[in-house]
Amino acid sequence: MSGDGQAGEPLLAAAGLTKRYRATVALDGAGIAVREGEAVALLGPNGSGKTTLLTILAGVSRPTSGATTWRPGGVARVGWVPHDPALYGRLTTRENLRLFAALEGAPDPDAAAADLLARADLAEYADRLAARLSTGTRQRLNLAIALAGEPSVLLLDEPTATLSPDQRHRLWAWLDELRTVDGLAVVFSTQSVDEAVAHGDRMVVLAGGRVVFDGDAARLVADHGTPGARDPAEAAFLAVVGADGR
Amino acid sequence: MNALRLLGKDLRLLLRTPALLAILVGYPVLVAVLVALALQGEERRPEVAFVNLDRSGRTVVVGGERTSLDDYVARFADEVHLRPTDAATARRALEDGRVAAVLTVPEGFVDNLVFGAEPPTVELVTSRRSAVRSEAITHRMESAVFRINQGLAADYIGQLLVLADRVVNGGTITVFGVSGEIYGITRSVALLDELRRTLRARGDGDLAQRLDPLEDFVRDTGDNLRLAARAASAIRSPVRLRVVQAAPGREPLSAFGVAGALLVSLGLVGVLLAASAISGEREDNVLVRLRRGLVSPGALVGEKIAFSALAGVAMGLVLLALLAVGTSLAIGRWGLWIPTLLVAGLAFGAFGVLVGALARETRTALLAGLMLALPLIFLGLVPESPAASAVSAAFAFGPAFEAFQGLIVEPETPSDLPLRLGHLALLAAAFGTAAALVLTRRESR
Repeated sequence: MSGDGQAGEPLLAAAGLTKRYRATVALDGAGIAVREGEAVALLGPNGSGKTTLLTILAGVSRPTSGATTWRPGGVARVGWVPHDPALYGRLTTRENLRLFAALEGAPDPDAAAADLLARADLAEYADRLAARLSTGTRQRLNLAIALAGEPSVLLLDEPTATLSPDQRHRLWAWLDELRTVDGLAVVFSTQSVDEAVAHGDRMVVLAGGRVVFDGDAARLVADHGTPGARDPAEAAFLAVVGADGR
Repeated sequence: MNALRLLGKDLRLLLRTPALLAILVGYPVLVAVLVALALQGEERRPEVAFVNLDRSGRTVVVGGERTSLDDYVARFADEVHLRPTDAATARRALEDGRVAAVLTVPEGFVDNLVFGAEPPTVELVTSRRSAVRSEAITHRMESAVFRINQGLAADYIGQLLVLADRVVNGGTITVFGVSGEIYGITRSVALLDELRRTLRARGDGDLAQRLDPLEDFVRDTGDNLRLAARAASAIRSPVRLRVVQAAPGREPLSAFGVAGALLVSLGLVGVLLAASAISGEREDNVLVRLRRGLVSPGALVGEKIAFSALAGVAMGLVLLALLAVGTSLAIGRWGLWIPTLLVAGLAFGAFGVLVGALARETRTALLAGLMLALPLIFLGLVPESPAASAVSAAFAFGPAFEAFQGLIVEPETPSDLPLRLGHLALLAAAFGTAAALVLTRRESR
């Protein structure tokens, strides 16, 4: 396993996270550190523990052991974007944003909803029921709801898995803007090594509930790459998780 | 505070769903109409085919009054609706289910009544289709036969008492249409006494003394007849049942129907609405956001219980208002109804939330809620055995039904109402706690 590869005290850090479901071990002493404005890609085969790690970081589930800590003085707020959009289908886009802004404690939920509508480019869908939105628009609303609590770390579980290429491109443009302009740290899980390389400053690779690599793409290829591979990053990833990459 | 926001969201969604709103308003109307029809049906006499094989046309004279077979049949007609027909048609009607029973008066019925060669007998054949209905008809007919027998016995004993009086005191007597004078025991004793005194005056003391046993016999016979007459009078008026009518508007049967209607409406709506509300949150995948510290499982469960209870109160008040307008039932005391409906609604809602928390999807929650609620509602209505009562007490349906019925039937505030409401509140707390625990375990995985 490699080190975190970046200087500075992490905003959010987790160490020794273990999660057991009866006889199944979903996470086995995993750890992760996230810095301000950083994009961390979580990679790993199905069942490697990506979603479990994200849900623990999001506060949705509790680890069997291990702990999550925030940097003292940092804004300890996460925005959670689950794989399946978490929103009320029979409320409109605006009502969803207003309700979640209120639940997150926004002093003026109406103003917060209007702001999120503009930032997520959802104004034209403001009064449409969420159930009637297209998949891509629903995912943008899903992300906008996560921003209602003004988080410092955004956690996304395979945010582009169900999107078309143009919808993916649009979503990544917005996420990159959130990261670079607003300084949000972004942790996203993905099945795509290309996506991880393109949008992640760093990759955390999980296999069998353990972190088996933590570093940037260049280091992944340098440490685990196969000479002559058509896709060096993917071949290195497969080598790390124990599969044949050639 | 966040729970209140979710409550506002749920109420808004409820008002925004016309089909659900129509069900919530329409269901109590439907139940009220069905209850009214059921209560009318309860008062309707069952249909019974009547076959008269006694064509003698004879009449019976008892106590100077002439009674025909039709008079006896009329007594049965007080209990059931008789449809005169022939034997074959009656049998077919019974087989087809068009009548609930066949009542047959056999040939020679009146002769047996007059001469007593055999006990006069009527025959009742009931349908096998409904054991409960057949039993009810049998009881009604037995009741009619008992009343006929009682009337006949009273008439015969009355006639017997007149005869005994004539035998003791003398007078005119008519037997089988022939009238004659009877001297009477009292006058016979006086005559014997006078005769004895005359004989002694003539110096025929021995002959006078020989009359003593005869006089004793006549005196004893008179005394015994008087005793028998008193006993017959007592038999003529045996123990009677005095039925005191309930105060107007508080008929127990109607109260049972209305309380049952309330229980079915509120019980089903409370359970199903709460179950679908909590499972709907899961189906919208929103629990993964709410559980991040926005709303605790306990607060979320409390919100869903409150939501279904508020809907239940509104629904119950609609139903009661309809019944207050459409029936003679005294449904006042709104100040007691509102807390009763609210606490019952909380208990139903808590049970529904538990079902919704255990089920993984809304359809399963609704099906499970319905399948659990229906037998428990039935048990709440008729907990006949101690075991059934114990099970009924473990759920809200039985105590709620008793509270509803008490409020309708009792002219004053039912003394056990606080106990019932406390019982319901306890069940609401228990089921609500269980639901919060289930939600915590399920959603924190």
